[in-house]
Parts: sequence; C-alpha cells; structure tokens
Amino acid sequence: MPGMADVTGDSLSASLIRTAFLAQTRWKAMQSRTARRYMELHALSASLDLFKPGAVVPWVSYLFPTELLTSYKITPMIPEIGSATLTGSDLRGPVEAAAARAPLARDVCSYHRIALAAVENDMLPVPTMCLGTTPLCLGKECLLETLAVRHNVPFREIRVPLPPDEGETAPEVIADVAEQLRVLHEDIGRWTGRRPDLQKAIRLSNRASAAWGNIMSERLAGRLEMDGRLTFATVFLGQLLWGTEEGAKDFERLLSERGRRDLMVPVLDGGRRLKRLLWLHTVPHHDKEIFDLIRDRDAVVIFEEMGQMHLETVDPNEPFFGLAKRLTDNVLWGTSTRRARLDVALAKQLRVDGVVHFNHWGCRHGLGSVPVVRAAFSEAGIPFLAIDGDALGRGGAEQEKSRQAMESFLELL
Amino acid sequence: MATFFEGMDHHPKTEVSDLNPPGLAFPGREPYPVRDFPMANCYYTCNLLPTDLIIQTGHVPRWLGNHLRRPGAPARRGALSIHPMTCPYVTKLVAAADELLAGSDDCLVVPGGCDAARRMGDLLAAAYPDRVFVLPMPRSSGLEVAKTLAVDLARFEDWLRTRRPAETAPTGGTSPDAGNATQEPPDLDYPVPPRPGGVFVVAGPLTDDSLLRLIDRLGVHVSGLESCTSPGRWRRLAALGGASGGARSKDAPVAAAATPDYEALAVALLEIGMCPRRSTIARRDHLARRLDESRPTSIIYARQSFCDPGAYDSLLIAALAEERGLRYLEIEVDFPFDANGPLRTRVEAFLEAETLDDDLLGDDLFGDELFGDDLSEEEA
Repeated sequence: MPGMADVTGDSLSASLIRTAFLAQTRWKAMQSRTARRYMELHALSASLDLFKPGAVVPWVSYLFPTELLTSYKITPMIPEIGSATLTGSDLRGPVEAAAARAPLARDVCSYHRIALAAVENDMLPVPTMCLGTTPLCLGKECLLETLAVRHNVPFREIRVPLPPDEGETAPEVIADVAEQLRVLHEDIGRWTGRRPDLQKAIRLSNRASAAWGNIMSERLAGRLEMDGRLTFATVFLGQLLWGTEEGAKDFERLLSERGRRDLMVPVLDGGRRLKRLLWLHTVPHHDKEIFDLIRDRDAVVIFEEMGQMHLETVDPNEPFFGLAKRLTDNVLWGTSTRRARLDVALAKQLRVDGVVHFNHWGCRHGLGSVPVVRAAFSEAGIPFLAIDGDALGRGGAEQEKSRQAMESFLELL
Repeated sequence: MATFFEGMDHHPKTEVSDLNPPGLAFPGREPYPVRDFPMANCYYTCNLLPTDLIIQTGHVPRWLGNHLRRPGAPARRGALSIHPMTCPYVTKLVAAADELLAGSDDCLVVPGGCDAARRMGDLLAAAYPDRVFVLPMPRSSGLEVAKTLAVDLARFEDWLRTRRPAETAPTGGTSPDAGNATQEPPDLDYPVPPRPGGVFVVAGPLTDDSLLRLIDRLGVHVSGLESCTSPGRWRRLAALGGASGGARSKDAPVAAAATPDYEALAVALLEIGMCPRRSTIARRDHLARRLDESRPTSIIYARQSFCDPGAYDSLLIAALAEERGLRYLEIEVDFPFDANGPLRTRVEAFLEAETLDDDLLGDDLFGDELFGDDLSEEEA
C-alpha cells in the first residue's frame, strides 16, 4: 500500500505510484458517489500534480481567490491544507521530526510551522510564487514571504482593509482590492507565460457557489441538518477546487440526498433531540476523541463558522469586484466586535444549545478575539466554551484537558 | 450625579457613568477606582506613531510600556485579560490599559501592526467604547499604502479632536501634571555609545537598557540595537512634526499648527517603523544595512515568546548572521526584560565564548610561527 511518502517524489516510480494511488481513491469515490469522496479525489489529484517536474506551484493564503489561478489551469498550494494532509498521513512522524529540528519557534501556528518544515524537507513542493492576502492572519503572510525570499520567487500581498463593524464595506474600498487582484492576475500570466480564461473559471466557481449557497441557506433555515465537522473537512479540501469543472460538479453533488448522505446529522432513536453546537474557528483535524465525545453525549456540531464563504455568485462581467467583495466581507475578517456580532446572530438563527470556540495553537488572530466573543455570547445568554488545542494534534495533555472541559460543558447543556 | 474634574476649566466635565461606559458587558468585572488626572492623556501601545499629531490635539502622548502594572499587584476581579498564548508585551499592556482607562477618561491608540496588537485593540475598544482607536498598520510601503495610512492618520487626528475640542486644549502642548513634558515616549538609550566589533542586539519592545547594561557588564560592548523602542526609533518619531515633517516647537500654540501633510507623515512613519511585522524583503534590506553600518562580531536576538513576526524575523537574522559569519544567539525573553536568572547565564556563556575568541586571536597565545608565518607555501 503506497503512502504519501511514495507519491511526492518526481521519479517515474513515484509517478506510477501516484496513478495507482489515485485509481484507488477514484474507486472509493465511485462506490460511494458522495460529494465528500469526490472532493477528496479531486483535491488529491490536483495537489499531486504539483509534485510533477516543472509544475507551477503557487503557495497561497487560505482565503486567496483561487479562481485567479484556475483561470490559468494552475492548482493552489494552501499551506494549511498541505499541513493537515501530511499530518494525517504516514508522513506525520517525519514532518513532525523535521518541524522539531527546524529553527522556527514552536509557539507559532502549527499549520505554518509544519508547512515550512515540509517544504524545507521535500515533503511539499517548493513555491514558484507566493501570494498572500491580509485576511486572515499575519503569520501566514510571514510564512509566505519567508518562503518567497528563501526560494527567490515573487511575493505579492493583497491588502484588504478591515470591514466596518456594522454595515457593508464601501464600494471604493472593494474597488481598490479588485484593482490589486486585476494587476496580480496579469502578473501571474506574465510569470507563467500562460493565457487565462477567467470567464470560464468564474462560471465554474459560480456553479459551485450557487450549490454551496443553497446548501448553507437550507442549513440556516433548519431544513437541512449536516454534521459541521465533516462538512468543514469537505469544504476545507474544496478550497483547492473553486473555479474548476471538478469543483463545480462536487459542490453540485451536495444538492442530492445521495451526494451528501455521509455528511448528515444522525437521527436518534425514539425521536430524541440532539444538542446543537455551533463550532467557531478551525477544527482538530486528527483528534477524533472530542467529536466521539460530542456524539456519545447526544450532541452534534450543527454548523461551522468557517464554512461561510463563497455563498454568493460573482458577476462574470466584473469578476475582480466580486472576488474582492468576498475578501472584504469574510465573516472572520474585521474586528472582534464584528465577529462576535455575526456569530451571535448566527447562533440565534440556528437556535443552538451552545457554542464552542477552538483556540488553535499559535493562532493569535483567532484566540485574540475570544474575550470579546465570549462576552457577547454571555450577554446573549448562550452557553459558550473555548477549548485550547492544536488543529494538527493527536491526543496529548492539552487535548485531554479540552476533552474534560467539553465533557463538563455538554453536561451543563 | 457626581462629577469629576470639578473646577478644571480646561477639561470637559465627565460623569461617573461615562468613565466606565457600558460597552460590552464583560461578566464579573468590578470597577476600578477613578484616578484624578487633570490632563487628557493619549496612551499608545506600539511605538509607531508621530507623537506630534497627538500633542497638536491637546493630549499628552504616553507610551503605555512606561505604565505597566506593578508585578504582584492584586488583579481586579474580572479584569480584562487575553489568552496566555499571546506575547507578554500584549498581555501586560492589556492589563495596564484596563487599569488606566477604567480610572480616567484618557484615551488609547493601538497601532494594529500584528494580530495580537490588533486583537488587543479590539478587546479594549469593546470594553471602552469611543476611547480606543485602532490604527491599521500596513506591512508594506509604496504610494498606495502610504495614501491609505495617511487617510487613517487624518481619521485618527479627527477622532482625537472630537474627544478634546480646540477650546479646551491647552496652548503650548504642555500638561499641568506632566510639568513641561509634552510627551512621554520610551526613554531607552545606550548606556555606552555603540561602536563596531561588539554585539548587535535585536529585540522587541524594551522598557529600559537592562539588556544592554548586562552585555556591558559582561565585558562586551554593544554595536547597535534594533528595537521598536531603540533611541534611533523613538527619537525620530518624537521629532516627526505633524505640520511639515519637522518638529513643531513646544511653545507654538496648538491653534497655529497647520494641517499636517498626512501623506508625508505616513511615508516617514513607514520608513522609520521598519519592524519585524513589515515585509520580509524590506526588513531584510534594512537589517543588512544596519549590520553593515554597525559592523558587529555577533548578534543576540531577544525574542518575546508567542510573537509571530519575531519568530520569522529571527530566521531572517540568523540567515544574515550566517552570511556574514557572525555568531548568533536567540533568547526567549519576557516583557519587561529580566536581566537575571537563566537568561543571564545564557548571554554570559555566549559572550564568554566571544571574549575567549578575542583573547585567542588577540593575545597571540601560540606565536606567529604556529600560524604559518615561517612555513613554506606548501606546508601552510
């Protein structure tokens, strides 16, 4: 059975193993025919292409509008997704050992520390360009520019002003971000020598957005109950596929019952009602214990804060403006007060029993807003729990403490 | 209702209820006792501000790092706090600001250079509405960036003026409680003038010169300091005039000050504030220039724990040290810097090795012949 260590090389044997590895993943997807499995297949397939000799490898921030890349048939390399994938594979040991040896301080975000160690040790492909956005955090901008300096490749940062606490971002602010995107899009063409088809990428992205927006509306209205943890994991990978044919089809698969059947909330015997939780920030990708505990206590993560993106389509005639608006309006961008206001409104709309904030290791952006978010939920009378942990961690003392806190919280609910 | 600042004609009357305004209800908070400060202070966190802009609006700019809570002082129940996985600078400043703002109607400006600072601003702004201004600080420079910052500086000045109408502002920019001082920036200075051939120190904010003195006491001199509180930074910022890029005389009446050229201010600010949160490429060039000017033999990086920009910056410095063949030490420090304990031992060990190297080379222990002066070319 080949593992990640065998598929990330650029030899002929690695290429053959990649093909076999993908065939196996494809078989699983065809058997299940769910969006989740197909998304895994297509994200993996696109990512493995990045290891091929001569591949264009743009390292980008999680919120980077990837349509700018897919319009050139380029797949993004998102460090958070790369790190989560590696630490969930047989490369976990080697990449953790490499990170421990690396001189970068251990107190920075583990997504970024692992990504830097991985690229420096040939477990992730080296960048051809590094493209950041000021949302959501400064750490990943530091990572991306550090990589750009080390590998002597271009670095660009899209500057996105903070949105106002109330109301919408001014059109001229969005227009400024749009102009930066337009210039960058041209630069990518110049650097790679490729010709773009942005209209097509936007059309495909819009198909996916329409499907995803529809699903999210149904979930918000209470007509559709999907497991927030599994849904987040799916959309997390889907971030690599916006603007592609595969991405459009995979998000559209969510519209059918069969396509989303492995993401649904379980139905309890005897009509018992599950406790509904709203999950804020990222999730522990590899730590099943906490979610097993939630399930065992008849609770479920009914909605995930980070899934709220790409909910509206973009005007194909003004693609840069639409893509810019997605950045300026992102729910996690802006002040802590804005985030608290939106989250409280979300919790009320979903009528959740409680809210959990995951304090990801080293994420100053996320955990820095917790005091304000906590106070807002307290004022609204909605139970709130913040648990510390590492999104890439597996067990350990910190995780055990969080598990105990979660247990008490669920009992309280 | 009781009023504060009774009889002080230069200050607007403030009601008790205004001093601990509703804001967001942080559960379990007990009020701080109100302090009787007759002058409007504008505290600031990161040393990234043209302080003259604050003075012109009748406020006394005070660096918050000079007003930390006493170590061991009992914390108020429900005092504001931030997650401990945040740098000690921010955690200590949150506590200090909470105490100062709760006991007065002073204001605070938080240049939001990094995530932790931005979130500190968010927290304090939520707790003290209309009294905290978070100034967005860009990573990069360039014309568009400077224009955006200029707009924000103008917005900041408007905000300050709204808080303190012109007729209540004192002339001359002096404050009754501060004597003749118009501002209170960081006051770190070199205990001994820096000179080449010693240690180049890179650090985050420092409240005093204890790190520099420690190095000096250990028998090695300092070649330069790169810190947001270094004399090279705060002196230039303090001298950065609001009107024309030059310092305005403290005796000049506030009303006479011309409208500042915000764009020029923004450009100057971006040029001076070349700290670790800035673009890696620009920062690397800046550091390389500083090292070339200072000509040190070694580098000590005093990095605060949980500081993201500092973590990546230390990689950059380590690479520059390697390129130049300089010895390098990274130490993780608290805020304020504590020159005792294990840190002292590490710095001592590092500097002892440096002194030893110098001795070995300088004292000619083995004589020239052993180093090949008398050897033939092949033997050498």
